[in-house]
Amino acid sequence: MSTEDTPAWPLWATDHDAAGPAAPQEASTLGLAAPCPECGMPVRPDQRYCENCGADVHPDLAFGASGGAASEATVKLNRPRPARRACLECGGEVDADGYCQTCGAKAPSPRDHFEAAPASWLGGVCDRGVVHARNEDAMALWTAAEPDRSAVLVVCDGVSSSQDSDVAAMAAAETARDVLADAVRGLAGSPDGGDTDPGTGPLHRALVEAAARANDAVVAHTAPDSENAASCTFAAAVVVGDRVHWAGLGDSRVYLLTDTAQVQLSTDHSGAEELIRAGVPREQAETGLHAHAITRWLGRDAEDVVPDTGVHPVTGTGWLLVCTDGLWNYASAPGALAEQLLAAGSDGADPVAVASRLVKWANAQGGKDNVTVALARLEANLNGASQAPTAIAAESTDAPGTSVEEKI
Amino acid sequence: MALFTSAVYQNEFLPDGGTDVNAIVTIACSGAGAAGQTGSGDAGEIIIVDTSGSMGNANMAAAKQAAMVALDHILDGTYFAVVAGNHKAYLAYPMVQSGAGMVRMDARTRAEARRAIGYFRADGGTAMGNWLNLARALFDSIGHLAQKHAILLTDGENHNETQQQLDLAIRNCVGQFQVDCRGVGVDWKVAEIRKIAQALLGTVDIIPNPSQLGQAFAELMQASMARGVAAADLRVWIPQGAQVLFVRQVSPTVEDLTGRGVGINPLTAAYPTGSWGDEERDYHLQIRLPAKSVGQEQLAARVQLAVGNEVLTQGLVKAKWSSDTNLTAQINPEVAHYTGQTELARAIQEGLQAKATGDERTATTKLGRAAQLAAETGNAEATAKLRKVVDIDDAETGTVRLKRGVAKADEMALDTASTKTTRIRG
Repeated sequence: MSTEDTPAWPLWATDHDAAGPAAPQEASTLGLAAPCPECGMPVRPDQRYCENCGADVHPDLAFGASGGAASEATVKLNRPRPARRACLECGGEVDADGYCQTCGAKAPSPRDHFEAAPASWLGGVCDRGVVHARNEDAMALWTAAEPDRSAVLVVCDGVSSSQDSDVAAMAAAETARDVLADAVRGLAGSPDGGDTDPGTGPLHRALVEAAARANDAVVAHTAPDSENAASCTFAAAVVVGDRVHWAGLGDSRVYLLTDTAQVQLSTDHSGAEELIRAGVPREQAETGLHAHAITRWLGRDAEDVVPDTGVHPVTGTGWLLVCTDGLWNYASAPGALAEQLLAAGSDGADPVAVASRLVKWANAQGGKDNVTVALARLEANLNGASQAPTAIAAESTDAPGTSVEEKI
Repeated sequence: MALFTSAVYQNEFLPDGGTDVNAIVTIACSGAGAAGQTGSGDAGEIIIVDTSGSMGNANMAAAKQAAMVALDHILDGTYFAVVAGNHKAYLAYPMVQSGAGMVRMDARTRAEARRAIGYFRADGGTAMGNWLNLARALFDSIGHLAQKHAILLTDGENHNETQQQLDLAIRNCVGQFQVDCRGVGVDWKVAEIRKIAQALLGTVDIIPNPSQLGQAFAELMQASMARGVAAADLRVWIPQGAQVLFVRQVSPTVEDLTGRGVGINPLTAAYPTGSWGDEERDYHLQIRLPAKSVGQEQLAARVQLAVGNEVLTQGLVKAKWSSDTNLTAQINPEVAHYTGQTELARAIQEGLQAKATGDERTATTKLGRAAQLAAETGNAEATAKLRKVVDIDDAETGTVRLKRGVAKADEMALDTASTKTTRIRG
């Protein structure tokens, strides 16, 4: 078989070239099973990815389809589909049938494993993990054009007990990313980002707005008759100048891990956090029965979608990490995570390479959940922290644990 | 161009630590067209008729008539030749001493060939290796034939050459042309003829009564002329570190292909399957993989049908390790069916062999197992043929008694049909 080009595979599906991938609207209204454009197997109209080969059945659709114009720096996933894909297991070439030509390992679908690298210092990996059948984590990154080192990192963890969370989480992350990117662009020109009063300034308002719009996106991707409305967590970080502005809702986390500070900026809205508040030791609380039950989330059945927000100065060199519990399950304390970062070759390395190693490590620990690792390399002088650090307390705008409902 | 499609039947779930993957791959061909007419190249047919003394007047007359019928079914334009065989091999038609040993079929050459066949006379011994060697030389004399097929008719044992001479001749013909073999009467040896047919990708059958020869030759030639795909390979890719335990054709007949693979690259072997008409064939593969951890999935094999260097269809055999015994314990029905059919063929052949050597105990056990498997897998033809050789007391337990005074033809018919399988579907 020729490996030079991606063949129109398989050759027995004689009509697939003529028909092309059916428009999704058409397919869903007619209930037709349009064949997968990659392997020709029938695909249910509601499926975004081919069950057989994992190909994107509707590559003409951008992720999320929430309409927000993505910036020029955004990495468009799977479009155009790269002619050659390297096997994640052995480095061999992945065949058009979705399996490695050397070791036979199944290449994950673009939804099950994707990477983003908007800049040499900003990138991340979003992965299905080992145990879960699909990847309901989502990640969206943005950076301004060089030399501006402003960045937006958004991570959402779709709640696996709800329906369509994979699609909803992706829509939420991308929507929030676009809202925050617009806000950062609006600050352009102001030396301190125009954010004179970080607790209530434009980036604080943008983070709250981003969560609200992300919530709209989740609701928009929830079937009206869904009995188990799609829902997801929300963790966002915006780097402008020498500050990290963050927001959190649920149990995805924002960490700042530099040579001068190793802190978890966000606070979980989870059963575990409630136990910690009640005096149970962190380690015990985070491994308890309802540790992963989140008490706040985005979605149609969410009562309150205003996230916790805060600001933190960047005073050293290191990493801003936004991740889902698929990572911090295996290293929760900032110090433990910093150690894993170091083990992953974090000293000056490419963020996607570091994130990939962290994902591999989490999968090697069992990979019990989807894993998302988004990283921004922060360097005090480059990120503008030339003046003395201003002590700005992380401020929670909403006390967690007020909801009686729980999601697991 | 012919259209090939494939389907894979397997239980892809392996238990923790499981290494062996079984799959049935069905390959179907449609739109094959006629031999030599589809632009893939010219076709050649050689009719080989046993003219040894043992044929006698009756068999010889029937064989001549059958050979003439076969001529009628060779499409005009097809290269052909007629070989008369005894302890030597003679080119009966075309009547040339050198140069091209085959001519194109048309009204004139057909009439001339008929006349040549009319002169056949039963005389001499039998040396089938010589016949095959001549056939190979005749095909080679044309040089550009894409599809080469012969019909071989015999009535007796290969008395006039050694086993080694026949084996060498067969070996030299492997991959050169295909041969369908037919034995008339009961004085020939099934194992000897089956060896030729299996190596040369053909069929073997008994024609107990010479009056059936004409019909048999007509059908053989029609089938050959309907194979518009000259030659195809079954290609099997396995991952690095994996091992092909076996590759068998299991339908329409059982043929072990395992040792016939030719390396295409370090991970892919090509197994010749000969020419194809509009038909379906099933293949059973068993692949051994290094075990992966529960939750992982990988490809165990890519099974492709290739004509030349063009891969026309591909089936994927997968492995998924699971801790769910409800999934891993299931045996795929197609795999179970063909595993039974393969064992059935072996039980019949071993049972008949034991019977021939006087080992009635082994014969009873083996043929009893055969009766059991034939019933289990719904192979009515095998059951009917077994009934002529054994009394089946209880098919479910495989309890049989050897019949006394069994007709030789019935035993041979059971033997030649032993590799024929039934399909689980349709």
